[in-house]
Amino acid sequence: METHRKKASWGHRSLMLLLMVYLLLPLLATLIYAFAKEWQATILPESWTLSWFKEMLQDVRFMEALWTSLYLCIISVALSLAVMLPAVFIITVYLPKLESFMKGVVVLPYAVPGVVAAVGLIRAYSSGPIPIAGTAYILIGAYFIIILPYMYQGIRNSLLTVSAVELVNSAEMLGASRLKAFITVIMPNIWPGIVTSTLLSFSVLFGEFVLTNMLVGGHIQTIQVYLYQRVNENGHLASAIAISYFLFILVLSMILMKLGKKVNKGISG
Amino acid sequence: MKPYLRLESIRKQFGDTPVLNNVNLDIREGELVTLLGPSGCGKSTLLRCIAGLTDLDGGHILLDSKDIVNLPPRSREIGMVFQSYALFPNLSVRENIEYGMKMRGASKEARRKRSAELLELIDLGEKRDAYPQQLSGGQQQRVALARSLAVKPKVLLLDEPLSALDAKIRKNLRSEIREIQKKFNITTIFVTHDQEEALTLSDRVCLMNKGSIVQQGTPEELYTTPRTEFVAQFMGSYNVLTRPEVLQLFGKANGDGDSFAIRPEALLLVGADTLSEASREDKQIVEGTVHSISILGNIIRYTIDAAGVRLIVDALNDGRSLRIREQSLVNLALDRSQLLQLEKEGV
Amino acid sequence: MERLRLQTNDAPFYKKESEGMKRRNRWFLLGLVPFVVMIVLFQLAPILSMVTGSISQGNGSGFTLDYYSRIIHSEFYLKAIKNSLLISIFSSVIGIAAGLICAYSITRFSPKMRDRLLMLSNMTSNFAGVPLAFAYIILLGSNGVFTLLFKQWGWSVFADFNLYSWTGLVLVYVYFQIPLALLLLYPSFYGIREQWKEAASLLGASKWQFWRTIGLPILTPAVFGTLGILFANGMGAYATAYALVGGNYNLLAVRIGSLVAGDVVNEPQLGNALAVILALSTLLAVYLNHKMTQRSKMLQSGFTTKNTRSLRIFPKLKSSAVKEEL
Repeated sequence: METHRKKASWGHRSLMLLLMVYLLLPLLATLIYAFAKEWQATILPESWTLSWFKEMLQDVRFMEALWTSLYLCIISVALSLAVMLPAVFIITVYLPKLESFMKGVVVLPYAVPGVVAAVGLIRAYSSGPIPIAGTAYILIGAYFIIILPYMYQGIRNSLLTVSAVELVNSAEMLGASRLKAFITVIMPNIWPGIVTSTLLSFSVLFGEFVLTNMLVGGHIQTIQVYLYQRVNENGHLASAIAISYFLFILVLSMILMKLGKKVNKGISG
Repeated sequence: MKPYLRLESIRKQFGDTPVLNNVNLDIREGELVTLLGPSGCGKSTLLRCIAGLTDLDGGHILLDSKDIVNLPPRSREIGMVFQSYALFPNLSVRENIEYGMKMRGASKEARRKRSAELLELIDLGEKRDAYPQQLSGGQQQRVALARSLAVKPKVLLLDEPLSALDAKIRKNLRSEIREIQKKFNITTIFVTHDQEEALTLSDRVCLMNKGSIVQQGTPEELYTTPRTEFVAQFMGSYNVLTRPEVLQLFGKANGDGDSFAIRPEALLLVGADTLSEASREDKQIVEGTVHSISILGNIIRYTIDAAGVRLIVDALNDGRSLRIREQSLVNLALDRSQLLQLEKEGV
Repeated sequence: MERLRLQTNDAPFYKKESEGMKRRNRWFLLGLVPFVVMIVLFQLAPILSMVTGSISQGNGSGFTLDYYSRIIHSEFYLKAIKNSLLISIFSSVIGIAAGLICAYSITRFSPKMRDRLLMLSNMTSNFAGVPLAFAYIILLGSNGVFTLLFKQWGWSVFADFNLYSWTGLVLVYVYFQIPLALLLLYPSFYGIREQWKEAASLLGASKWQFWRTIGLPILTPAVFGTLGILFANGMGAYATAYALVGGNYNLLAVRIGSLVAGDVVNEPQLGNALAVILALSTLLAVYLNHKMTQRSKMLQSGFTTKNTRSLRIFPKLKSSAVKEEL
């Protein structure tokens, strides 16, 4: 029997308002700062300008950093997709015994902070058989590990929601090979979930600073590293960059939300 | 006799949809009344209104001559058992049972004594330190029953308490509930959508539809004399016939109504040997074709096309009707005295 | 005798079949190879290398606990550990208290409004690290808008406030802990079923009594589990502190960073040992979370389907919130 929930009370509303103000204030400050010519000792700046954004767009280093970030993220996510899709599929469908082991592997990036991971990576690859410290390779490897949990969860959840095991079994009984079953039956059914985790991973990597700065900070500039350097030079310009970055994340998370709803609807309908 | 619990013109709507239209009901002390009806008929809402979990839009609830409409649930002295048990997962069986007494400030000794009694009553003494998750559904529901009885409520409300359980456990628990109810002589309202449950369990059945009580009475009354087509359909698989259909089958109709009902077991399949006997007893003999047969345990249910009317016929599954197959031609003996005249809906 | 022969006749047939299965299996197991290689190269090898590095001598051979004993005897590093522990505990306790209240509040809204609020908090939880530190500098730094405004208005309460100090760091840490706590905790409130409240009220419990005897005990494992995540998040936070105070405030994560990749002192072995200590503390916290999640699941096993669905989205939200500081 449906019970009608009353509208949230006055107390709850004001609490949430307070929370939102608290959470959005720093963002708002950055936003205003990015459009302010000068901002000191007044609640709002006295004059406004778009010049910081103009300067940002004309800055060759910014465009380079943006490009570096983009291609590093794309390569890492693509690599992760190529590696994780078959692996998670095989484990979920054919080797479910390994799942608890997988969970352990996947939770490690959560439990090991970026600084620690960086320390290990630097020591393992600064000398020895694979000296790739300071190169893009080590960063892509680190990125792969960072997004491991999201990719695993995303792929596994979509496999489970489409009951991949039953799908594969029936495809095989109808005479399809395993590879064929995977490509023709599983892939088309799980792609919305995959797109979601891909976008999520992308936004995670785009905001990565710790590993990037520690592993390759001196050689490769991603948008976050560039932002860090700019903060100390020109605050207004840095604000403009931060706001642009944030808008990008915002758009991504809105797409994520929409997709998430669609996926859920598909399941319940 | 003065009613113990009286519901007076109860009204409730959710948004623009009326859920309860002017419901009136009197319940005697110690009586077990069932609210029966299809889902969405308002029976659970009525129960929640009595418990105080849902606010009324209008009407009065008098318990022991006191209007309790404005009391919060915890002051109403009403116990309730939910369909999903609603046992507290962080408390053991015994703590669950003692919860109400604890909230009312009963001493530890009093609580222990009472919970021990109840645990014995529901036969779960050994499980007293177990947690709800460790019990089966039937055991959980027994604990929920004990929990609501522990505070000696004036009225016990049961909201479809058996519908989450297996058929077999359901039947056992049903008679257990009835026994306990009789033992404590506790005034009880039982909500269900299962007519068999309602018929076996209750002193009185209130059949609800679209927010109103359409007919109430003892189980026998409701089963044998449905007043409207809805009741006839809901209480048993009555054959509901229009006046022209009745004329076709019986030749003439008793009364001048437009709608009639006849119980499936009142239609008799007669073999050639007993044909003359049946017609001697002033029964109408009609020839029909068997359309389908389904076996419902001790009863075989036939659908038979006779005189252009499709009828449901129940016969005892006693092995005599083995010869009958789908498409068989059979003779039906119709007894006009069993024909019930129905009122129009909504009267 | 007859039966025996039958069996021997049958045996090769089955054997062939199972061999065939095995051969097929071996082929598709190749799909796991890239995964295993990546995990070994970038997850296991670094951890192993770090651990061995922390217990071997500078030239790379020979066992020593020298680095650990140096840490234990160094007031400087002990202070860093202590600072990190304190700031993590402080910020996670404050974060969880605020998050708990807000999470309860958020469940009181209509689903549409709730989703909007959650999206906003999820969004701001992306706002961490360098941009966050910078935003706080704009607001409360030595030339920050509020700092100057307060000075102008003569609000002496804030005169002593220094963003680049312990209080400033706590303030910023709390900022990224609250949305995380909120996102991790709010699903557990849906695990508290409306019918428990109704049953309790019919049994005579007031609202407060319900929360004290049923609601909060059921939430407890989830609260401690979340506390574990927040603590790990605080311990591992590097970007925010680095961007805010650089090397000026003595925190474990910052110390490790400057030992391994810093410009001034470069003593990687000591960094390894410190990193092992840091990793142990976060592993412990995440393990606590794991244990508590199990308990919480057991307590809330009576979920309705609707609740399990909202749980399904939960790891997604959780992950996007956790990442930027870990």
